[in-house]
Amino acid sequence: MKEIVTIQVGDYANYIGSHFWNFQDELIGLAGDPQADSVFKNQDLNMDVLYRTGETHQGIDTYTPRLVSINMRGSLGSMSSRGTLYKEVAPTTSDVFTWTGSVSTQASEPREKNLFLRSLYEEESQNMVNEISGSHSGSPSEYEDKDITESLENGVQFWTDYSKVHFHPQSLYELNGVWTDVEEFDNYGIGRDSFSWASHGEEISDRLRFFVEECDHVQGFQFVVDDSGGFSSVGAEFLENIVDEYTNTPVLLYAARGSGSRASLQTRKRTILVELHDAISFSRLSSYSKLIVPVGLPSLGRASKFLHIEDEKHYHSSAVYAAALHSISLPFRMLPVGPTADACSVSGAVDFHGLIQMLSGQGRQNMVSILDVSMPTPALTGGQNEVSLLENFQPLTPMISEDGEDIHAIEHLTVHGAFASVEGRRATVCEVKDSLDAAFERANTRPMFHHLSVALCPLPIPLPFPSIFGNQVGKHGEMISSQLTNSSSKGSLDVHSIPMAARLRSSSAVLPLLENKLQNLHRYGITRGAAGAELLSSWGFGKEELVEMQEMLSKMVATLCPPQSSSDSD
Amino acid sequence: MSIRVLNPNAEVLNKSAALHMNINAAKGLQDVLKSNLGPKGTIKMLVGGSGDIKLTKDGNTLLKEMQIQNPTAIMIARTAVAQDDISGDGTTSTVLFIGELMKQSDRYIDEGMHPRVLVDGFEIAKRATLQFLEKFKTPVVMGDRPDIEMLKMVARTTVRTKLYEALADQLTNIIVDAILCIRKPEEAIDLFMVEIMHMRHKFDVDTRLVEGLVLDHGSRHPDMKRRAENCHILTCNVSLEYEKSEINSGFFYSNAEQREAMVIAERRQVDEKVKKIIELKRKVCSDNDSSFVVINQKGIDPPSLDMLAREGIIALRRAKRRNMERLVLACGGEAVNSVDDLTPESLGWAGLVYEHVLGEDKYTFVENVKNPFSCTILIKGPNDHTIAQIKDAVRDGLRAVKNTIEDESVVLGAGAFEVAARQHLINEVKKTVQGRAQLGVEAFADALLVVPKTLAENSGLDTQDVIIALTGEHDRGNIVGLNQNTGEPIDPQIEGIYDNYSVKRQIINSGPVIASQLLLVDEVIRAGRNMRKPT
Ligand SMILES: Nc1ncnc2c1ncn2[C@@H]1O[C@H](COP(=O)(O)OP(=O)(O)OP(=O)(O)O)[C@@H](O)[C@H]1O
Ligand SMILES: [Mg+2]
Repeated sequence: MKEIVTIQVGDYANYIGSHFWNFQDELIGLAGDPQADSVFKNQDLNMDVLYRTGETHQGIDTYTPRLVSINMRGSLGSMSSRGTLYKEVAPTTSDVFTWTGSVSTQASEPREKNLFLRSLYEEESQNMVNEISGSHSGSPSEYEDKDITESLENGVQFWTDYSKVHFHPQSLYELNGVWTDVEEFDNYGIGRDSFSWASHGEEISDRLRFFVEECDHVQGFQFVVDDSGGFSSVGAEFLENIVDEYTNTPVLLYAARGSGSRASLQTRKRTILVELHDAISFSRLSSYSKLIVPVGLPSLGRASKFLHIEDEKHYHSSAVYAAALHSISLPFRMLPVGPTADACSVSGAVDFHGLIQMLSGQGRQNMVSILDVSMPTPALTGGQNEVSLLENFQPLTPMISEDGEDIHAIEHLTVHGAFASVEGRRATVCEVKDSLDAAFERANTRPMFHHLSVALCPLPIPLPFPSIFGNQVGKHGEMISSQLTNSSSKGSLDVHSIPMAARLRSSSAVLPLLENKLQNLHRYGITRGAAGAELLSSWGFGKEELVEMQEMLSKMVATLCPPQSSSDSD
Repeated sequence: MSIRVLNPNAEVLNKSAALHMNINAAKGLQDVLKSNLGPKGTIKMLVGGSGDIKLTKDGNTLLKEMQIQNPTAIMIARTAVAQDDISGDGTTSTVLFIGELMKQSDRYIDEGMHPRVLVDGFEIAKRATLQFLEKFKTPVVMGDRPDIEMLKMVARTTVRTKLYEALADQLTNIIVDAILCIRKPEEAIDLFMVEIMHMRHKFDVDTRLVEGLVLDHGSRHPDMKRRAENCHILTCNVSLEYEKSEINSGFFYSNAEQREAMVIAERRQVDEKVKKIIELKRKVCSDNDSSFVVINQKGIDPPSLDMLAREGIIALRRAKRRNMERLVLACGGEAVNSVDDLTPESLGWAGLVYEHVLGEDKYTFVENVKNPFSCTILIKGPNDHTIAQIKDAVRDGLRAVKNTIEDESVVLGAGAFEVAARQHLINEVKKTVQGRAQLGVEAFADALLVVPKTLAENSGLDTQDVIIALTGEHDRGNIVGLNQNTGEPIDPQIEGIYDNYSVKRQIINSGPVIASQLLLVDEVIRAGRNMRKPT
């Protein structure tokens, strides 16, 4: 088995992660639920790739994510950093074993659990069996599901507020002694050294080692970093450490950020800071990885006609990114199936190494990939306006060109839970493959190479998923003729699963993003008398280092530029 | 765990308002930390909003747990934490000293004195105090055999400020033994060569010194022995797992057969490496009553584990990087980076290797080694916060002993130094100073007394009475510290209360630097992250 260890660094990364693990938890629950739809029964997905089995001190078996999550002190809300499963032996807080002198207790106001977490807790103590997850069907509760989803819509403050997952005590790490507000922890400079300071780095590396040591053969690190502020330097320093310690283990890096966070660039000074942060952050992060996927649009509101995203809610936007990450991760854990098995539920397995080689290791060696999503993805045939799956993708990577025709493009596609037709019959794996192959044949522009992974199992929508579906989305994610009467969004109570498609593509369409970083670094940081030169030196960057970064970015641009037009660079 | 120190208030303020804000912030931080100080201080249990518990009697840990937002307080906190980074102790004293310098200054500034003059006085007083420290310190001779009694007294003084006496005394012996174990004459002491390992233990606290190494993982093969004696130890950093070659995973070009062939070839390479290890094992274990243990920093995959297990070899994977060094120092031999370097001489030796399992946690003990230069302090405690607090105390103790050896001197504690230095400044130094800077010297001198005063206060004694008694006894020509039980003057030398010279020095150095910066504000600037580096 080839294990994946997931790493989430920073607030928004953990928002995404929270949804991501909710999907996994839901899949595990549905697989064991006799009442669940049969597509969830035999998924041919090996959850052990993402999860570990363990045992508490009381001898109770556990099944928890292989995860290291880094948080700012105070951003775990009502969740204990030890997670929920491994209870401490010593029950009372008043026992002090080490001091006979006076003791003073300073207790913060206990954080109240929201309706969702309370109902989760209640359900658990009712069941009393050590079942890790359950579907949200049926159990009698004093809380109405409707009230729960509503309260989440109105009151998510922390990523833990909507998490239904049990975490291992080694998973959640809090950075303490940073002594800044989350809002002020907003640039590369302020986060610098936070990783190495006060043995944080050592403790974090130890946590990671804990999960890696158990792996028989780790296939890679799925690394999600919130690159909007100080956490990108925490992430970069952590990555540097990982590359050093696990040299041959591939890292799939998602550099993610929430929507709209850059809306308020009131002053020029602020603009320079933000632009430089983005440039530095991008080049530092990419220097430690073989494949980087920038994720996070300034606004998701317009990204899909089937979704209604409120940009200011991290709870909303992160759900979309998490769904895409989930789809992309499916081929990493598909069980091997014989080539002749026709009733199979998966096809196109590929591991980290394979994916990274495919996208960035060959041909042009472009290491920046674009993430696209089709959520929910339309049926293979039929429908009012015959949107083909391939035309339905929405990019989640910012600053890319739309019209990019690139004959050297490489694409990796995952489609799961697709319907064959608008009537709602699930397409077999072969049908999906045939249909897409045909679509590629028909297409005007097609990539030089594409790889397709297919799974039968759709994306399950867990109870704490936000209400972001448009009216035309049906219970199983099928398109229904929209009843325009009621315009409010649908959530997990109305939509139980959706067919999904996601795509990673290596394409010159990413050039504008690269050029933007390069230009800003040059303009604000390097040219003579650059307005941000002082700022950068206060962040600890010397001239030489900056020029090196510039060269690296130039190289990334040059890789993608068609050779004839490389004359006008300056 | 938010103890907020004052409200965040960072707009640019006018000079006098800014000055007062700084003074208040310094006092605020002092108030939070002062009950920590000394063996009669209060331990703090911090309960977070989600029920997480932290237990601490240490200024350093407490500061890190606080959510400090006031920029002045952040500056002081960074200085104090830097104090701990550099010298390993004295965080609480640093915060108190800075707070008291600000408090004393406040009085004079209220009377119309210019901060500049005070700062000049601080500078004079600081230099004089450092000179005085040189005279006052107690030299310790560190020949081939260090003065073990002295090392124990220093360690005990520190550790007793963190743990109750019996526990502190048990730890003191362990700490000193640990340092003596890793110390090599003529070389700097590398504290990383003392591993600190912890284990959960029902309801009790217990610690012990393991001469050798305790690793927090075990073998990953069901057939490997859980206990072995007379062990050859191979310490290595060699990947024993199948890795796809970088060059080509062949999506475009190769067909299935080609790929298959490549996989087989690559697997064979791993097997070859394992075989070389087995070869060496056969060579050195021919006598049959010895065992072979591989401790690898890289991974070992199941097929490799199988091969090793069949050969009776115990193998651990993904050992901590630092353990490579420790193992070699504990067991001998050398760390091997390639199977081509395998020789019998590269192997170390341990009399006993065994595994201990606690729930899902596994530990491997590598013990009964010959002449080790690395060892492990094993801490057992009933819960995380207790273990963490003991760990902090152990670190403090180790640093104290290391400092003593490196400083080749110590300083009498229990307030003795502060009282003597204060009297020296007032009686000798002040009169040599021209003009109003005298008042700066006086403010500095009085600020030093914050240590004995706070020690007295934490023992429930009257600070006024104590200071009078101490200074009086001092002026009769005796060196005096505070007996925290009676409030009477005592001779710290007889009681064996010693602090580190370098810690004291650092406090005297950094306190006035920060206080001066805070006094000379033109405006309040948000503290930058780079403040925490030693100045
Ligand atoms: N038995 C004792 N009687 C009186 N004073 C003592 C005794 N033992 C230690 N002290 C004094 O206590 C002070 C040290 O206290 P403590 O260790 O709590 O604070 P600190 O070293 O300033 O900060 P930190 O929190 O970093 O340890 C020193 O001034 C020392 O001389
Ligand atoms: Mg101390």
